[in-house]
Amino acid sequence: MTAPLSKTIVLWIFVVAVLVLLSAPTIVILGASFTSGNIITFPPEGFSLKWYEKIATSRDLWDAFLRSLYVSAICTVVAIPVGTLAGIALAKYAIRFEKSVQIYLLLPFTIPLIGSGIGLMLIFGEARLLGQLWPVGLACCVINLPFMIWAVTASASSLDPDLELAAASCGAPPLSTFFHVTLPAVMPGVISGSLLMFILALNEFLVSLLLTDARIVTLPVQIYNSIRSIITPDLAAISVVFIACAALAIVLLDRFVGLEIFLKSK
Amino acid sequence: MRAAKSAYPLTWRIMDALEAFAAFVWPARFGRAIPWLMLAPALLLVGLLVLGLWLIGDASLRTLDTSTFLMSETYTLANYRRAFTESLFAVVAWRSLAGSLMVTAATLILAFPYAYVMVRTSSPVIRKLLLIALFLPFFIGQVVRAYGWLIILGNQGMVNEALSLVGIAPIRLLYNYWAVLFGLVQYMLPFAVLMLAPALTAIPEELEAAAGSLGADWLRTFRHVVLPLARPGLVGAGLVVLTLSLTDFAMPAILGGGSQDFIANAIYDQFFRTSDQGLGSTLALLLVATGSLLVGLVFTLFGAGTLAMGRARQ
Repeated sequence: MTAPLSKTIVLWIFVVAVLVLLSAPTIVILGASFTSGNIITFPPEGFSLKWYEKIATSRDLWDAFLRSLYVSAICTVVAIPVGTLAGIALAKYAIRFEKSVQIYLLLPFTIPLIGSGIGLMLIFGEARLLGQLWPVGLACCVINLPFMIWAVTASASSLDPDLELAAASCGAPPLSTFFHVTLPAVMPGVISGSLLMFILALNEFLVSLLLTDARIVTLPVQIYNSIRSIITPDLAAISVVFIACAALAIVLLDRFVGLEIFLKSK
Repeated sequence: MRAAKSAYPLTWRIMDALEAFAAFVWPARFGRAIPWLMLAPALLLVGLLVLGLWLIGDASLRTLDTSTFLMSETYTLANYRRAFTESLFAVVAWRSLAGSLMVTAATLILAFPYAYVMVRTSSPVIRKLLLIALFLPFFIGQVVRAYGWLIILGNQGMVNEALSLVGIAPIRLLYNYWAVLFGLVQYMLPFAVLMLAPALTAIPEELEAAAGSLGADWLRTFRHVVLPLARPGLVGAGLVVLTLSLTDFAMPAILGGGSQDFIANAIYDQFFRTSDQGLGSTLALLLVATGSLLVGLVFTLFGAGTLAMGRARQ
Protein backbone atom coordinates (compact mmCIF):
# COMPACT_ATOMS: atom_id res chain seq x y z
CA MET A 1 0.00 0.00 0.00
CA THR A 2 1.44 3.35 -0.95
CA ALA A 3 0.87 6.41 1.19
CA PRO A 4 -1.03 9.32 -0.37
CA LEU A 5 1.22 11.99 -1.85
CA SER A 6 -0.01 14.73 0.49
CA LYS A 7 0.93 12.63 3.53
CA THR A 8 4.42 11.98 2.20
CA ILE A 9 4.94 15.66 1.40
CA VAL A 10 3.72 16.96 4.78
CA LEU A 11 5.73 14.40 6.74
CA TRP A 12 8.90 15.05 4.79
CA ILE A 13 8.58 18.82 5.21
CA PHE A 14 8.74 18.21 8.96
CA VAL A 15 11.55 15.68 8.65
CA VAL A 16 13.68 17.98 6.51
CA ALA A 17 13.06 20.91 8.88
CA VAL A 18 14.17 18.80 11.85
CA LEU A 19 17.18 17.48 9.93
CA VAL A 20 18.30 21.05 9.19
CA LEU A 21 17.70 22.09 12.78
CA LEU A 22 19.66 19.12 14.14
CA SER A 23 22.58 19.31 11.75
CA ALA A 24 23.08 23.04 11.20
CA PRO A 25 25.37 23.70 14.21
CA THR A 26 27.55 20.68 13.43
CA ILE A 27 27.97 21.55 9.76
CA VAL A 28 28.64 25.22 10.49
CA ILE A 29 31.29 24.38 13.10
CA LEU A 30 33.00 22.00 10.69
CA GLY A 31 33.03 24.72 8.04
CA ALA A 32 34.20 27.46 10.38
CA SER A 33 37.11 25.39 11.68
CA PHE A 34 38.75 25.39 8.23
CA THR A 35 38.58 29.14 7.65
CA SER A 36 41.76 31.05 6.93
CA GLY A 37 40.42 34.31 8.33
CA ASN A 38 40.85 35.53 11.89
CA ILE A 39 37.18 35.92 12.58
CA ILE A 40 34.37 33.64 11.59
CA THR A 41 32.74 34.83 8.39
CA PHE A 42 30.46 33.25 5.86
CA PRO A 43 31.29 32.12 3.34
CA PRO A 44 34.69 31.18 4.87
CA GLU A 45 37.61 33.22 3.59
CA GLY A 46 39.43 30.25 2.18
CA PHE A 47 40.72 26.93 3.33
CA SER A 48 43.42 26.50 5.93
CA LEU A 49 44.37 24.22 8.76
CA LYS A 50 45.92 26.99 10.83
CA TRP A 51 43.33 26.78 13.61
CA TYR A 52 44.06 23.09 14.00
CA GLU A 53 47.74 23.95 14.28
CA LYS A 54 46.84 26.52 16.90
CA ILE A 55 44.85 24.12 19.07
CA ALA A 56 47.49 21.42 18.63
CA THR A 57 50.00 23.72 20.28
CA SER A 58 47.64 25.19 22.88
CA ARG A 59 48.48 23.66 26.26
CA ASP A 60 45.29 24.96 27.90
CA LEU A 61 42.98 23.24 25.46
CA TRP A 62 44.92 19.97 25.44
CA ASP A 63 45.08 19.87 29.22
CA ALA A 64 41.35 20.52 29.41
CA PHE A 65 40.72 17.76 26.89
CA LEU A 66 42.88 15.29 28.80
CA ARG A 67 41.06 16.19 32.01
CA SER A 68 37.74 15.53 30.26
CA LEU A 69 39.00 12.12 29.12
CA TYR A 70 40.13 11.34 32.68
CA VAL A 71 36.74 12.32 34.10
CA SER A 72 34.92 10.18 31.52
CA ALA A 73 37.22 7.23 32.25
CA ILE A 74 36.53 7.43 36.01
CA CYS A 75 32.81 7.72 35.32
CA THR A 76 32.78 4.67 33.04
CA VAL A 77 35.02 2.53 35.26
CA VAL A 78 32.71 3.12 38.22
CA ALA A 79 29.50 2.77 36.21
CA ILE A 80 30.33 -0.61 34.61
CA PRO A 81 30.35 -2.80 37.77
CA VAL A 82 27.77 -0.73 39.66
CA GLY A 83 25.27 -0.48 36.82
CA THR A 84 25.77 -4.04 35.57
CA LEU A 85 25.18 -5.62 38.99
CA ALA A 86 22.16 -3.42 39.69
CA GLY A 87 20.73 -4.02 36.22
CA ILE A 88 21.07 -7.82 36.49
CA ALA A 89 19.59 -7.78 39.99
CA LEU A 90 16.58 -5.77 38.80
CA ALA A 91 16.03 -7.95 35.74
CA LYS A 92 16.57 -11.35 37.36
CA TYR A 93 15.18 -11.29 40.85
CA ALA A 94 11.80 -10.49 42.33
CA ILE A 95 12.84 -8.02 44.99
CA ARG A 96 10.75 -6.75 47.85
CA PHE A 97 9.98 -3.04 47.54
CA GLU A 98 10.89 -3.33 43.83
CA LYS A 99 8.76 -0.32 42.94
CA SER A 100 10.41 1.87 45.59
CA VAL A 101 13.88 0.72 44.52
CA GLN A 102 13.06 1.69 40.92
CA ILE A 103 11.81 5.13 41.88
CA TYR A 104 14.88 5.61 44.07
CA LEU A 105 17.26 4.58 41.28
CA LEU A 106 15.53 7.05 38.93
CA LEU A 107 16.35 9.93 41.29
CA PRO A 108 19.33 11.04 39.15
CA PHE A 109 16.83 11.77 36.36
CA THR A 110 14.05 13.27 38.44
CA ILE A 111 16.27 15.62 40.45
CA PRO A 112 17.16 18.54 38.17
CA LEU A 113 20.84 18.66 37.23
CA ILE A 114 21.35 21.98 38.98
CA GLY A 115 19.98 20.43 42.20
CA SER A 116 22.17 17.32 41.94
CA GLY A 117 25.18 19.45 41.07
CA ILE A 118 24.73 21.86 43.96
CA GLY A 119 24.12 18.96 46.38
CA LEU A 120 27.28 17.16 45.27
CA MET A 121 29.18 20.44 45.44
CA LEU A 122 28.12 20.86 49.08
CA ILE A 123 29.07 17.24 49.89
CA PHE A 124 32.48 17.43 48.24
CA GLY A 125 32.99 20.85 49.84
CA GLU A 126 32.36 19.45 53.32
CA ALA A 127 34.65 16.49 52.58
CA ARG A 128 37.36 18.89 51.27
CA LEU A 129 37.40 17.11 47.90
CA LEU A 130 36.75 20.12 45.68
CA GLY A 131 39.68 20.95 43.45
CA GLN A 132 40.30 17.32 42.55
CA LEU A 133 39.18 15.63 39.36
CA TRP A 134 37.99 12.18 40.42
CA PRO A 135 34.95 13.52 42.31
CA VAL A 136 33.84 15.11 39.02
CA GLY A 137 33.99 11.66 37.39
CA LEU A 138 32.05 10.15 40.28
CA ALA A 139 29.44 12.92 40.00
CA CYS A 140 29.02 12.29 36.24
CA CYS A 141 28.55 8.61 37.04
CA VAL A 142 25.83 9.29 39.62
CA ILE A 143 23.78 11.65 37.44
CA ASN A 144 23.83 9.31 34.40
CA LEU A 145 23.64 5.96 36.21
CA PRO A 146 20.04 5.17 35.08
CA PHE A 147 21.30 5.05 31.46
CA MET A 148 23.71 2.24 32.41
CA ILE A 149 21.06 0.32 34.37
CA TRP A 150 18.56 0.73 31.52
CA ALA A 151 21.00 -0.59 28.96
CA VAL A 152 21.76 -3.67 31.08
CA THR A 153 18.15 -4.48 32.00
CA ALA A 154 17.15 -4.11 28.35
CA SER A 155 19.59 -6.80 27.26
CA ALA A 156 18.95 -8.99 30.32
CA SER A 157 15.66 -10.02 28.74
CA SER A 158 17.72 -12.22 26.45
CA LEU A 159 19.03 -13.99 29.55
CA ASP A 160 17.17 -17.27 29.97
CA PRO A 161 17.13 -18.24 33.69
CA ASP A 162 17.19 -21.89 32.62
CA LEU A 163 20.68 -21.33 31.21
CA GLU A 164 22.00 -20.43 34.64
CA LEU A 165 20.26 -23.44 36.16
CA ALA A 166 21.76 -25.64 33.45
CA ALA A 167 25.23 -24.30 34.24
CA ALA A 168 24.69 -24.94 37.93
CA SER A 169 23.42 -28.47 37.35
CA CYS A 170 26.53 -29.17 35.28
CA GLY A 171 28.48 -28.37 38.42
CA ALA A 172 29.50 -24.76 37.79
CA PRO A 173 29.90 -22.83 41.05
CA PRO A 174 28.06 -19.47 41.35
CA LEU A 175 30.91 -17.17 40.27
CA SER A 176 31.72 -19.29 37.20
CA THR A 177 28.06 -19.25 36.26
CA PHE A 178 28.04 -15.47 36.58
CA PHE A 179 31.16 -14.90 34.49
CA HIS A 180 30.53 -17.54 31.80
CA VAL A 181 26.74 -17.46 31.45
CA THR A 182 25.12 -14.36 32.98
CA LEU A 183 27.69 -11.73 32.01
CA PRO A 184 28.10 -12.73 28.33
CA ALA A 185 24.29 -12.63 27.95
CA VAL A 186 24.09 -8.97 29.04
CA MET A 187 27.33 -7.92 27.30
CA PRO A 188 25.62 -5.87 24.53
CA GLY A 189 23.89 -3.85 27.23
CA VAL A 190 27.12 -3.37 29.17
CA ILE A 191 28.90 -2.16 26.03
CA SER A 192 26.20 0.26 24.89
CA GLY A 193 25.72 1.48 28.47
CA SER A 194 29.40 2.21 29.01
CA LEU A 195 29.62 3.98 25.64
CA LEU A 196 26.72 6.20 26.66
CA MET A 197 28.27 6.88 30.07
CA PHE A 198 31.63 7.79 28.52
CA ILE A 199 30.27 10.14 25.87
CA LEU A 200 27.81 11.83 28.24
CA ALA A 201 30.57 12.40 30.81
CA LEU A 202 32.83 13.78 28.08
CA ASN A 203 30.15 16.37 27.26
CA GLU A 204 28.96 17.02 30.80
CA PHE A 205 28.88 20.74 31.33
CA LEU A 206 26.81 21.99 34.27
CA VAL A 207 28.08 19.56 36.90
CA SER A 208 31.67 20.15 35.75
CA LEU A 209 31.08 23.89 35.94
CA LEU A 210 29.91 23.56 39.55
CA LEU A 211 32.61 21.13 40.71
CA THR A 212 35.73 22.46 39.01
CA ASP A 213 37.74 25.61 39.67
CA ALA A 214 39.87 27.60 37.24
CA ARG A 215 42.82 25.19 37.56
CA ILE A 216 40.99 22.00 36.64
CA VAL A 217 38.31 22.97 34.12
CA THR A 218 37.13 20.29 31.71
CA LEU A 219 36.88 21.00 27.99
CA PRO A 220 33.17 21.94 27.83
CA VAL A 221 33.70 24.42 30.66
CA GLN A 222 36.80 25.78 28.94
CA ILE A 223 34.82 26.33 25.74
CA TYR A 224 31.99 27.98 27.70
CA ASN A 225 34.45 30.37 29.38
CA SER A 226 36.04 31.24 26.03
CA ILE A 227 32.65 31.84 24.38
CA ARG A 228 31.91 34.46 26.98
CA SER A 229 35.02 36.46 26.15
CA ILE A 230 35.54 36.29 22.38
CA ILE A 231 34.54 33.98 19.55
CA THR A 232 37.50 32.88 17.44
CA PRO A 233 37.80 29.96 15.01
CA ASP A 234 40.09 27.96 17.33
CA LEU A 235 36.98 27.18 19.35
CA ALA A 236 35.43 25.73 16.21
CA ALA A 237 38.50 23.57 15.70
CA ILE A 238 38.39 22.23 19.24
CA SER A 239 34.64 21.63 18.90
CA VAL A 240 35.46 19.39 15.96
CA VAL A 241 37.21 17.13 18.48
CA PHE A 242 33.83 16.65 20.17
CA ILE A 243 32.16 16.02 16.84
CA ALA A 244 34.79 13.39 16.03
CA CYS A 245 34.28 11.71 19.43
CA ALA A 246 30.52 11.70 18.90
CA ALA A 247 30.91 10.20 15.42
CA LEU A 248 33.23 7.52 16.79
CA ALA A 249 30.76 6.68 19.55
CA ILE A 250 27.94 6.32 17.01
CA VAL A 251 30.03 4.02 14.82
CA LEU A 252 30.92 1.84 17.82
CA LEU A 253 27.35 1.80 19.10
CA ASP A 254 26.08 0.82 15.66
CA ARG A 255 28.75 -1.88 15.30
CA PHE A 256 28.13 -3.48 18.71
CA VAL A 257 24.39 -3.25 19.24
CA GLY A 258 22.94 -1.47 16.19
CA LEU A 259 21.27 1.93 16.44
CA GLU A 260 17.93 0.35 15.55
CA ILE A 261 17.74 -1.08 19.09
CA PHE A 262 16.46 2.34 20.21
CA LEU A 263 13.39 1.92 18.02
CA LYS A 264 12.32 -1.33 19.64
CA SER A 265 9.11 -1.16 21.63
CA LYS A 266 9.42 -2.48 25.13
CA MET B 1 43.27 -37.35 42.60
CA ARG B 2 44.57 -34.07 41.16
CA ALA B 3 45.30 -33.83 37.46
CA ALA B 4 48.79 -32.96 36.28
CA LYS B 5 49.81 -29.34 36.60
CA SER B 6 49.76 -28.72 32.87
CA ALA B 7 46.18 -29.94 32.61
CA TYR B 8 45.01 -27.48 35.23
CA PRO B 9 45.67 -23.97 33.89
CA LEU B 10 46.29 -20.90 36.00
CA THR B 11 42.94 -19.28 35.18
CA TRP B 12 41.16 -22.27 36.69
CA ARG B 13 43.20 -21.99 39.86
CA ILE B 14 42.32 -18.31 40.12
CA MET B 15 38.63 -19.05 39.64
CA ASP B 16 38.84 -21.80 42.27
CA ALA B 17 40.40 -19.41 44.74
CA LEU B 18 37.74 -16.76 43.97
CA GLU B 19 34.93 -19.30 44.39
CA ALA B 20 36.37 -20.44 47.71
CA PHE B 21 36.69 -16.81 48.83
CA ALA B 22 33.12 -16.03 47.73
CA ALA B 23 31.78 -19.12 49.49
CA PHE B 24 33.68 -18.08 52.62
CA VAL B 25 32.44 -14.46 52.81
CA TRP B 26 29.00 -15.23 51.41
CA PRO B 27 27.75 -18.74 52.23
CA ALA B 28 24.88 -20.09 50.14
CA ARG B 29 22.38 -19.73 52.97
CA PHE B 30 22.67 -15.93 52.62
CA GLY B 31 21.42 -16.42 49.04
CA ARG B 32 18.26 -14.42 49.57
CA ALA B 33 20.30 -11.28 50.17
CA ILE B 34 22.24 -11.58 46.91
CA PRO B 35 20.00 -9.21 44.90
CA TRP B 36 20.40 -6.59 47.59
CA LEU B 37 24.16 -7.12 47.62
CA MET B 38 24.18 -6.53 43.86
CA LEU B 39 22.04 -3.41 44.22
CA ALA B 40 24.01 -1.98 47.14
CA PRO B 41 26.68 -0.05 45.17
CA ALA B 42 24.03 1.64 43.01
CA LEU B 43 21.88 2.44 46.05
CA LEU B 44 24.93 3.95 47.78
CA LEU B 45 25.93 6.06 44.77
CA VAL B 46 22.43 7.47 44.36
CA GLY B 47 22.48 7.99 48.14
CA LEU B 48 24.99 10.78 47.46
CA LEU B 49 22.17 12.73 45.80
CA VAL B 50 19.90 12.21 48.79
CA LEU B 51 22.68 13.39 51.10
CA GLY B 52 23.17 16.38 48.79
CA LEU B 53 19.47 17.26 49.02
CA TRP B 54 19.73 17.01 52.81
CA LEU B 55 22.64 19.48 52.83
CA ILE B 56 20.71 21.80 50.49
CA GLY B 57 17.74 21.63 52.85
CA ASP B 58 19.97 22.45 55.79
CA ALA B 59 21.59 25.41 54.02
CA SER B 60 18.22 26.74 52.86
CA LEU B 61 17.21 27.32 56.48
CA ARG B 62 20.20 29.54 57.24
CA THR B 63 20.57 33.17 56.20
CA LEU B 64 23.71 34.94 55.08
CA ASP B 65 25.13 37.52 57.46
CA THR B 66 26.30 40.20 55.03
CA SER B 67 28.78 41.74 57.49
CA THR B 68 30.76 38.55 58.19
CA PHE B 69 29.74 36.46 55.15
CA LEU B 70 29.01 33.52 57.43
CA MET B 71 25.86 31.44 57.48
CA SER B 72 23.64 31.85 60.53
CA GLU B 73 23.73 29.17 63.23
CA THR B 74 20.01 29.18 63.83
CA TYR B 75 17.29 28.00 61.49
CA THR B 76 14.88 30.49 59.95
CA LEU B 77 12.41 30.55 57.09
CA ALA B 78 13.58 33.97 55.92
CA ASN B 79 15.00 32.60 52.64
CA TYR B 80 11.68 31.03 51.70
CA ARG B 81 9.92 34.32 52.43
CA ARG B 82 12.38 36.11 50.12
CA ALA B 83 12.03 33.49 47.39
CA PHE B 84 8.27 33.89 47.34
CA THR B 85 8.03 37.65 47.71
CA GLU B 86 10.89 39.13 45.65
CA SER B 87 9.56 39.96 42.21
CA LEU B 88 12.84 39.04 40.47
CA PHE B 89 12.34 35.36 41.28
CA ALA B 90 8.71 35.44 40.20
CA VAL B 91 9.79 36.90 36.85
CA VAL B 92 12.47 34.24 36.40
CA ALA B 93 10.14 31.41 37.45
CA TRP B 94 7.41 32.60 35.10
CA ARG B 95 9.88 33.02 32.23
CA SER B 96 11.19 29.46 32.73
CA LEU B 97 7.78 27.88 33.11
CA ALA B 98 6.19 29.62 30.12
CA GLY B 99 9.33 28.97 28.08
CA SER B 100 9.51 25.29 28.89
CA LEU B 101 5.82 24.81 28.06
CA MET B 102 6.30 26.44 24.66
CA VAL B 103 9.46 24.41 24.07
CA THR B 104 7.61 21.20 24.95
CA ALA B 105 4.79 21.93 22.52
CA ALA B 106 7.13 22.90 19.68
CA THR B 107 9.44 19.95 20.28
CA LEU B 108 6.61 17.39 20.28
CA ILE B 109 5.10 18.83 17.10
CA LEU B 110 8.47 18.64 15.32
CA ALA B 111 9.57 15.31 16.82
CA PHE B 112 6.39 13.34 16.13
CA PRO B 113 6.55 13.30 12.29
CA TYR B 114 10.31 12.63 12.44
CA ALA B 115 9.84 9.65 14.77
CA TYR B 116 6.93 8.43 12.66
CA VAL B 117 8.88 8.51 9.41
CA MET B 118 11.89 6.91 11.11
CA VAL B 119 9.80 4.03 12.42
CA ARG B 120 7.61 3.51 9.34
CA THR B 121 10.03 4.00 6.47
CA SER B 122 10.62 0.86 4.45
CA SER B 123 14.18 1.88 3.57
CA PRO B 124 16.86 0.77 6.06
CA VAL B 125 19.22 3.41 4.63
CA ILE B 126 16.84 6.30 5.37
CA ARG B 127 16.21 4.90 8.85
CA LYS B 128 19.93 4.70 9.55
CA LEU B 129 20.52 8.23 8.26
CA LEU B 130 17.72 9.63 10.41
CA LEU B 131 19.13 7.81 13.45
CA ILE B 132 22.64 9.14 12.83
CA ALA B 133 21.34 12.69 12.37
CA LEU B 134 19.63 12.24 15.73
CA PHE B 135 22.53 10.79 17.69
CA LEU B 136 25.24 13.10 16.40
CA PRO B 137 23.93 16.26 18.12
CA PHE B 138 22.82 14.16 21.13
CA PHE B 139 26.44 13.10 21.64
CA ILE B 140 28.02 16.48 20.94
CA GLY B 141 26.86 18.30 24.03
CA GLN B 142 25.05 21.53 24.73
CA VAL B 143 27.96 23.94 24.80
CA VAL B 144 29.27 23.01 21.37
CA ARG B 145 25.78 23.12 19.86
CA ALA B 146 25.09 26.52 21.39
CA TYR B 147 28.42 27.67 19.96
CA GLY B 148 27.25 26.57 16.52
CA TRP B 149 24.14 28.73 16.90
CA LEU B 150 26.30 31.69 17.93
CA ILE B 151 28.13 31.38 14.62
CA ILE B 152 24.88 31.11 12.67
CA LEU B 153 22.78 33.74 14.44
CA GLY B 154 25.41 36.23 15.63
CA ASN B 155 25.44 39.87 14.56
CA GLN B 156 28.08 39.03 11.96
CA GLY B 157 26.79 35.51 11.65
CA MET B 158 25.64 33.51 8.68
CA VAL B 159 22.04 34.66 8.66
CA ASN B 160 22.88 38.33 8.95
CA GLU B 161 25.60 38.07 6.29
CA ALA B 162 23.08 36.47 3.99
CA LEU B 163 20.55 39.20 4.75
CA SER B 164 23.10 41.93 4.04
CA LEU B 165 23.71 40.43 0.58
CA VAL B 166 20.11 41.22 -0.28
CA GLY B 167 20.36 44.63 1.35
CA ILE B 168 18.65 44.06 4.69
CA ALA B 169 20.22 45.63 7.77
CA PRO B 170 21.48 43.15 10.42
CA ILE B 171 18.84 41.93 12.85
CA ARG B 172 19.66 41.14 16.46
CA LEU B 173 18.84 37.45 16.55
CA LEU B 174 20.74 36.45 19.67
CA TYR B 175 20.48 37.24 23.37
CA ASN B 176 16.69 37.30 23.47
CA TYR B 177 13.97 34.99 24.73
CA TRP B 178 13.27 33.43 21.33
CA ALA B 179 16.92 32.54 20.79
CA VAL B 180 16.90 30.64 24.10
CA LEU B 181 13.68 28.79 23.22
CA PHE B 182 15.02 28.01 19.75
CA GLY B 183 18.21 26.55 21.22
CA LEU B 184 16.22 24.54 23.75
CA VAL B 185 13.97 23.02 21.06
CA GLN B 186 17.03 21.91 19.13
CA TYR B 187 18.59 20.51 22.29
CA MET B 188 15.42 18.57 23.21
CA LEU B 189 14.58 17.08 19.79
CA PRO B 190 16.74 13.94 20.14
CA PHE B 191 15.32 13.19 23.59
CA ALA B 192 11.75 13.56 22.32
CA VAL B 193 12.25 11.44 19.19
CA LEU B 194 14.00 8.67 21.15
CA MET B 195 11.14 8.55 23.65
CA LEU B 196 8.47 8.60 20.93
CA ALA B 197 9.96 5.99 18.61
CA PRO B 198 9.33 2.88 20.78
CA ALA B 199 5.73 3.95 21.37
CA LEU B 200 5.19 4.34 17.61
CA THR B 201 6.85 0.98 16.89
CA ALA B 202 4.27 -0.61 19.18
CA ILE B 203 1.38 0.57 16.98
CA PRO B 204 0.60 -2.12 14.39
CA GLU B 205 0.76 -0.74 10.86
CA GLU B 206 -2.35 -2.78 10.00
CA LEU B 207 -4.45 -0.52 12.23
CA GLU B 208 -3.69 2.43 9.98
CA ALA B 209 -4.40 0.38 6.90
CA ALA B 210 -7.71 -0.69 8.45
CA ALA B 211 -8.67 2.91 9.16
CA GLY B 212 -7.76 3.77 5.58
CA SER B 213 -9.81 0.93 4.12
CA LEU B 214 -12.80 2.15 6.14
CA GLY B 215 -12.54 5.46 4.34
CA ALA B 216 -10.57 7.63 6.74
CA ASP B 217 -8.06 9.89 5.01
CA TRP B 218 -4.55 9.95 6.48
CA LEU B 219 -5.15 13.08 8.58
CA ARG B 220 -8.13 11.49 10.31
CA THR B 221 -6.22 8.24 10.75
CA PHE B 222 -3.44 10.21 12.37
CA ARG B 223 -5.78 12.09 14.64
CA HIS B 224 -8.04 9.19 15.69
CA VAL B 225 -5.72 6.17 15.53
CA VAL B 226 -2.03 7.05 15.70
CA LEU B 227 -2.09 9.94 18.17
CA PRO B 228 -4.27 8.24 20.82
CA LEU B 229 -2.22 5.03 20.64
CA ALA B 230 1.02 6.98 20.91
CA ARG B 231 -0.10 8.64 24.13
CA PRO B 232 2.36 6.79 26.45
CA GLY B 233 5.23 7.96 24.27
CA LEU B 234 3.88 11.51 24.05
CA VAL B 235 3.49 11.66 27.84
CA GLY B 236 6.99 10.32 28.46
CA ALA B 237 8.59 12.59 25.87
CA GLY B 238 6.62 15.62 27.02
CA LEU B 239 7.59 15.05 30.64
CA VAL B 240 11.28 14.65 29.86
CA VAL B 241 11.33 17.71 27.61
CA LEU B 242 9.36 19.82 30.09
CA THR B 243 11.55 19.05 33.11
CA LEU B 244 14.83 19.25 31.21
CA SER B 245 14.04 22.59 29.60
CA LEU B 246 12.54 24.01 32.81
CA THR B 247 15.81 23.33 34.62
CA ASP B 248 18.30 24.02 31.82
CA PHE B 249 21.31 26.20 32.42
CA ALA B 250 23.51 26.30 29.33
CA MET B 251 21.08 27.55 26.68
CA PRO B 252 19.79 30.56 28.68
CA ALA B 253 23.37 31.34 29.73
CA ILE B 254 24.91 31.18 26.24
CA LEU B 255 22.08 32.15 23.88
CA GLY B 256 20.37 34.47 26.38
CA GLY B 257 23.55 36.36 27.14
CA GLY B 258 22.69 36.93 30.81
CA SER B 259 19.47 38.82 30.14
CA GLN B 260 17.21 35.76 29.82
CA ASP B 261 17.99 33.81 33.00
CA PHE B 262 16.07 30.65 33.78
CA ILE B 263 15.74 29.24 37.32
CA ALA B 264 19.01 27.29 37.14
CA ASN B 265 20.90 30.48 36.21
CA ALA B 266 19.35 32.34 39.14
CA ILE B 267 20.48 29.53 41.48
CA TYR B 268 23.98 29.58 40.02
CA ASP B 269 24.17 33.35 40.47
CA GLN B 270 23.14 33.07 44.12
CA PHE B 271 26.02 30.65 44.76
CA PHE B 272 28.76 32.18 42.63
CA ARG B 273 27.91 35.89 42.23
CA THR B 274 26.27 36.96 45.48
CA SER B 275 27.65 33.96 47.44
CA ASP B 276 24.32 33.61 49.25
CA GLN B 277 24.29 29.83 49.78
CA GLY B 278 21.11 30.00 51.83
CA LEU B 279 18.96 31.68 49.22
CA GLY B 280 20.55 29.63 46.43
CA SER B 281 19.76 26.42 48.30
CA THR B 282 16.19 27.57 48.88
CA LEU B 283 15.67 28.18 45.18
CA ALA B 284 17.31 24.84 44.31
CA LEU B 285 15.07 22.96 46.73
CA LEU B 286 11.97 24.67 45.38
CA LEU B 287 13.00 23.69 41.85
CA VAL B 288 13.58 20.07 42.92
CA ALA B 289 10.15 20.08 44.59
CA THR B 290 8.47 21.48 41.47
CA GLY B 291 10.20 18.93 39.26
CA SER B 292 9.32 15.99 41.53
CA LEU B 293 5.73 17.21 41.76
CA LEU B 294 5.47 17.28 37.96
CA VAL B 295 7.01 13.81 37.62
CA GLY B 296 4.90 12.38 40.43
CA LEU B 297 1.72 13.86 38.97
CA VAL B 298 2.37 12.42 35.52
CA PHE B 299 3.42 9.03 36.93
CA THR B 300 0.28 8.68 39.02
CA LEU B 301 -1.89 9.80 36.11
CA PHE B 302 -0.25 7.76 33.35
CA GLY B 303 2.13 5.27 35.03
CA ALA B 304 5.91 5.18 34.63
CA GLY B 305 5.40 4.05 31.02
CA THR B 306 8.58 4.06 29.00
CA LEU B 307 10.65 5.18 32.00
CA ALA B 308 10.34 1.96 34.03
CA MET B 309 13.40 -0.20 34.60
CA GLY B 310 13.86 -3.91 35.12
CA ARG B 311 11.18 -6.58 35.29
CA ALA B 312 8.31 -4.12 35.47
CA ARG B 313 8.86 -3.02 31.89
CA GLN B 314 8.65 -6.45 30.33
